[in-house]
Amino acid sequence: MPDSKRFLHPEAIGRISRLDLRARHIVEGFLAGIHRSPYFGQSVEFLQHREYTRGDELRHIDWKVWAKQDRYYVKQFEEDTNLRATLLVDVSGSMRYGAGALNKYEYGCTVAACLAYLLLRQQDAVGCVAFDSEIRAKVPQRTKRTHLGSIVQALASSEPDEKTDIQSILASAAETYPRRGLMVLVSDLLVERPGLLKGLRLLRQYGHEVVVFHVMDDDELDFSFNGPTRFEGLELDQHLSCNPRALRAGYLEALESYLAEVRRGCARIGIDYRLVRTSDALDAALAAFLSHRKESQRQ
Amino acid sequence: MPSFLFESLLWWGLPLVGLPILIHLINLMRHRRVHWAAMEFLLASQKRHRKSILFRQLLLLLLRMLAIAAIVLMVAQPMMLNRWASILGGTRTHHVVLLDDSFSMADRWADTSAFEEGKRVVARLAAQAAHQDNPQMFSVIRFSRAAGVARGLQPDMLEQPLDANFSSELEGVLGPLSVSETAAEPSDALEAIERLPGKPDDEERIVYLVSDFRANQWQEPGALRKTLNRLDAAGTQLHLINCVDAVHSNLAVVGLRPATGTRAAGVPLLVDVTVRNFGPTDANSVSVSLEEDGRTRPAIVIDALASGRQTTRRFPVLFTTAGQHDIVARVSTDAVPTDNKRTLVVDVPDAVDVLIIDGDAEAQDAFFLATALAPGGKTTSGLRPVIESPSFLRDAPLDGFATIYLLNVERLEPSEVAALEAFVTAGGGVGIFLGERSRAPLINEQLYRDGQGLFPLPLKGPAELVVDRLEKAPDLEVTDHPIFSVFAGERNSFLNTVTIQRYFAAAEGWSPSPDSSTRVIARLRNKAPLAVERQLGQGRVVAILTKAAPVETALGSWNNWGRNNPSYIVAMQEMQSYLSSPRYPDTDRPVGTPLNVALDVSKYLPQVRFVVPGEAGTSESFVFDATPTPEGHRAQLRDTSTSGIYQAELTATDGTREAQRFAFNVASQEGDLKKLSGPQLARGLEGVRYEYHDAAQITFNPQQLAGFNLSTSLLLALIVVLLAEQALAYVCSYHPTAKEAGN
Repeated sequence: MPDSKRFLHPEAIGRISRLDLRARHIVEGFLAGIHRSPYFGQSVEFLQHREYTRGDELRHIDWKVWAKQDRYYVKQFEEDTNLRATLLVDVSGSMRYGAGALNKYEYGCTVAACLAYLLLRQQDAVGCVAFDSEIRAKVPQRTKRTHLGSIVQALASSEPDEKTDIQSILASAAETYPRRGLMVLVSDLLVERPGLLKGLRLLRQYGHEVVVFHVMDDDELDFSFNGPTRFEGLELDQHLSCNPRALRAGYLEALESYLAEVRRGCARIGIDYRLVRTSDALDAALAAFLSHRKESQRQ
Repeated sequence: MPSFLFESLLWWGLPLVGLPILIHLINLMRHRRVHWAAMEFLLASQKRHRKSILFRQLLLLLLRMLAIAAIVLMVAQPMMLNRWASILGGTRTHHVVLLDDSFSMADRWADTSAFEEGKRVVARLAAQAAHQDNPQMFSVIRFSRAAGVARGLQPDMLEQPLDANFSSELEGVLGPLSVSETAAEPSDALEAIERLPGKPDDEERIVYLVSDFRANQWQEPGALRKTLNRLDAAGTQLHLINCVDAVHSNLAVVGLRPATGTRAAGVPLLVDVTVRNFGPTDANSVSVSLEEDGRTRPAIVIDALASGRQTTRRFPVLFTTAGQHDIVARVSTDAVPTDNKRTLVVDVPDAVDVLIIDGDAEAQDAFFLATALAPGGKTTSGLRPVIESPSFLRDAPLDGFATIYLLNVERLEPSEVAALEAFVTAGGGVGIFLGERSRAPLINEQLYRDGQGLFPLPLKGPAELVVDRLEKAPDLEVTDHPIFSVFAGERNSFLNTVTIQRYFAAAEGWSPSPDSSTRVIARLRNKAPLAVERQLGQGRVVAILTKAAPVETALGSWNNWGRNNPSYIVAMQEMQSYLSSPRYPDTDRPVGTPLNVALDVSKYLPQVRFVVPGEAGTSESFVFDATPTPEGHRAQLRDTSTSGIYQAELTATDGTREAQRFAFNVASQEGDLKKLSGPQLARGLEGVRYEYHDAAQITFNPQQLAGFNLSTSLLLALIVVLLAEQALAYVCSYHPTAKEAGN
């Protein structure tokens, strides 16, 4: 493992308390690890001409340069190449769960902060929405490097609480950010599936690209509890005393059914769905994001 | 409804059945609390599997409760009624307890006794039987009461139904019971069972023989085996329950009786006391305390008494007044106190009348004999000789005489012979000396009568002892007979100086028959018989075949024994004691034998007041009417179950009272505590079907109570339940798999 990767593990990240520092640490480590940013400049404003190549849109050809030099150069405008990304971060009560170094909320916020830092570094506009049953914090899209502080502050001030109302949140986000852009949803998706899929479909209908980071804890995915346990719901007033071993098979079955449904729903409407464990290294989320961007650029 | 051998354990153990529920509740309180996000999937799983999980958990809980219940029931030993027996008609179970209360059951150790252990066993039997489904009857018969059952006496408890009040009724019966002083044997008790009402065919009869199984009763149980086999053939179940754990030390006074000798006021009387060591170890410095008419005498100390041995010590007593006198001998208290004491009542008259019949008018023989029997002077022999002619035998009653001597008698009338023989047969003693007037043919014809008369041998005729006088040898050779035993060991007993010149020779070829009571007790130097004895009825006859007096006769001198030879006086005194001893019957009456008092209704009122000894020196009195019998009027005291001195008070017609005392003592052999073990008993009772138990560790076979013990079945059920519990627990994944355990 490269040294830079060593610092991307949740155990190491968990020791950095400030979210902005954490994001910078991760992203810089991540970029150093891959040595060359394959996406550098893609979404950053170029103030120079580029020779025309096949496939470039004709409307971007600078005819004045052609008139002077009889060569085709493509003229790139800063505002046209800016990416407008919105980070939708779930801060509901269910995100409080976590048995490892980072709970789901901390892991999700870290992922969001990392993406924000990466995007801002590329001169993209980044906004943020922290929500549970309603929108708790909203940060408008900006391209300034200092905008990361606002995003981090909004995430940090949103303590997990209440139940997630995903459909209305996504609908609200779609209305709030009508211009097409990138919508990154970071959540445990412990919500009603029809509402979730409706909300995601709505985002797609508004023309957004959507990336879903489904954050789950190892316990939730493996359910390796033992001994008499009383489970108390984090969002609703539900509780269950049981021997977890007796219910494990049924739990995993229900979970697998749920994950399959979400995965299928996302695939059907062209959403990039990523299931991440809170025990996974954080570069996986970034790699997934960049991979998605690459794919979308190719298309 | 089953019953339980250890019901108290059941009630203590049953609450444990709730233990799994308690553990479950405790675990509920000890649940780990987890704040959980994905409740949706958990609830979905729970909803889907709820019924099966609940069913499995309840089943598991039930199996665990069943396992504990099975363990508790096993410990409590459940007994199930044999319903097949009920269907086939065995609808009633009759428990018959034969409780040994002979005094060996008083055997004490620690804080209990054999009898107390026996009573506890009976109570446990009753408690056990009370929980059977079919009708249960209970009877209790003590050994000492069993003989009375034959006479119509009621048992201590007879066919009492086992109901709710039974335990208190049984306690009321058993509580006051104590060990008797009898040596009651099991044979009476076993035979009493056959006299109980109810047919064995109609009931399941179970007999419990609760005893100490002493060797002296069970070593050779020939008659018992027959009775037991008879009971077995009648379908009776038999259980022998031993109440004694080991043989303990026991010293007993087994004998207290006067030695032979004249009993008269002012005459020292020798009394023999015999002490036996029945214990397993030797005893040292055994002190025998003595009382004489309530006054304490110096004790006798026996230095050492080996185990299983007995020793006799002789001590003199002197009663200066006529009448009945009491003697008591005691040894120190031990495991069985009942046989530590023995009492004796001695009837002492003013003097003993002795009748001397002399055939010669000069009565020289009578003079010498009377002088020897009552020498006079400062010492008294207690004898009062009366010298008469032979016709006295015919004319006067002879009952008042202890002994009659016939000296030098020529001929007797048939009536005189008959009176004499009646006197001997009734227990009198007759001493006969011959002389110059004696006629052998007449003696053979009248007194010997081919062995049917009182004379012990046929005579040939007078003979002269022809020996070499220069040879140093005594003319008189005596045997080890009570008359001559006093001379045993004496170097110079004066017997050696006795010279016999003349005697009556026995018929040629005569010798005493080995199976007769006739014995030669002294011979002459030529081996001819000189003194011969025989038993006739209750009495004794001793014939000395020479003259009583050392005087010259027409035939010459017969002997010199009575002339200045002290051995003559001693021998005559001893002969008198020997001949008169049958007149003093053995006064040692065993407890339990009825006391009969004869009375002359012309002199006494026909009522007798009996004063009976009680516990701790107390006494009770009962008045019984005398009833006519062929032998005259008699009053009878049937219950003499306590040892000690009984008194019968007779009231004369003039109002004066007269008391007679009787000593009742326990049977000495009952104190022998040597017992038989189970295998030894089995050898003696070979062929008899029975079960042997120790009272302290008694466990009843299920068949004993007409039911089945379910313990074995419960054990199998427990194994099945535990296996099922383990399998179910594994299926429920309550045990981690190997893979999970590795993680």
